[in-house]
Amino acid sequence: MKKNMLRFLIIEDDEMIRIIHKEFLEELFPECEILEAENAAQGICLYFECRPNVILLDMMMPLMGGESFLDILEEGYSKNILKDKPKIVVITAIKDVKELMSIGKRFAVEAVISKPLVQSQLKALLDDWVE
Amino acid sequence: MDDVNFPNIDNFDSAQILDMNKALKRVSYKKELLNRVLNIFRNNLLEKQKIIESGLKNKKWQDLRVISHGIKGSSWTIGAQQLGNVAFSLEKAADNEDYQLYNHLFQIFKICIESFIEFVEMKIPDINF
Repeated sequence: MKKNMLRFLIIEDDEMIRIIHKEFLEELFPECEILEAENAAQGICLYFECRPNVILLDMMMPLMGGESFLDILEEGYSKNILKDKPKIVVITAIKDVKELMSIGKRFAVEAVISKPLVQSQLKALLDDWVE
Repeated sequence: MDDVNFPNIDNFDSAQILDMNKALKRVSYKKELLNRVLNIFRNNLLEKQKIIESGLKNKKWQDLRVISHGIKGSSWTIGAQQLGNVAFSLEKAADNEDYQLYNHLFQIFKICIESFIEFVEMKIPDINF
């Protein structure tokens, strides 16, 4: 992934957390593009429209949660509607280990990070992916 | 009457109302950004307090679960440890659909919101809440 081609999608219902993520990403990659969605339904629309390469996904959200986002994406790929696979980082306050492990096995999920997010953890992941 | 086994406000007293170092670190030590996010956080808390009130009246456990979970995540993110801990307990009470406990914790939660606002106004006088 090239630095100047980076397009992030933040799917998070909490405005404060979206701002914190956004500021952090902009500081790391000043040239990147950042899209924001406050639930999975908005996230799906933005994904189909803009095809971001990295997605920061919250799981428990009102209206439509992260689980549904992953279901729709997975179905899209299995039916060849979608071609490119994004890298998804789940950032969640879920504490149940079994649940976290099962999220980690989901399609396109590269990492599951617990809230409160340790920003250096996210930076390390992104440094690995970005040229 | 409150159940004697229910937690009280003292159970949450050991946690910091707002860990300023954590909060500042979270926003890369940008003071203006901190003021902005704390304002959003505070407004969000007051808004969610109303939603909880109505959700509790109608025993909408799934809504209460999602809201409590959200408050827990945002509180811990910004270093509002005490509120995060109460929200964590609220989430568990919602999981168990325990009306009495949830209602009891909600009263504690409201006190913690007041303490939080008071604390922030004292620590950051130019916050403009």
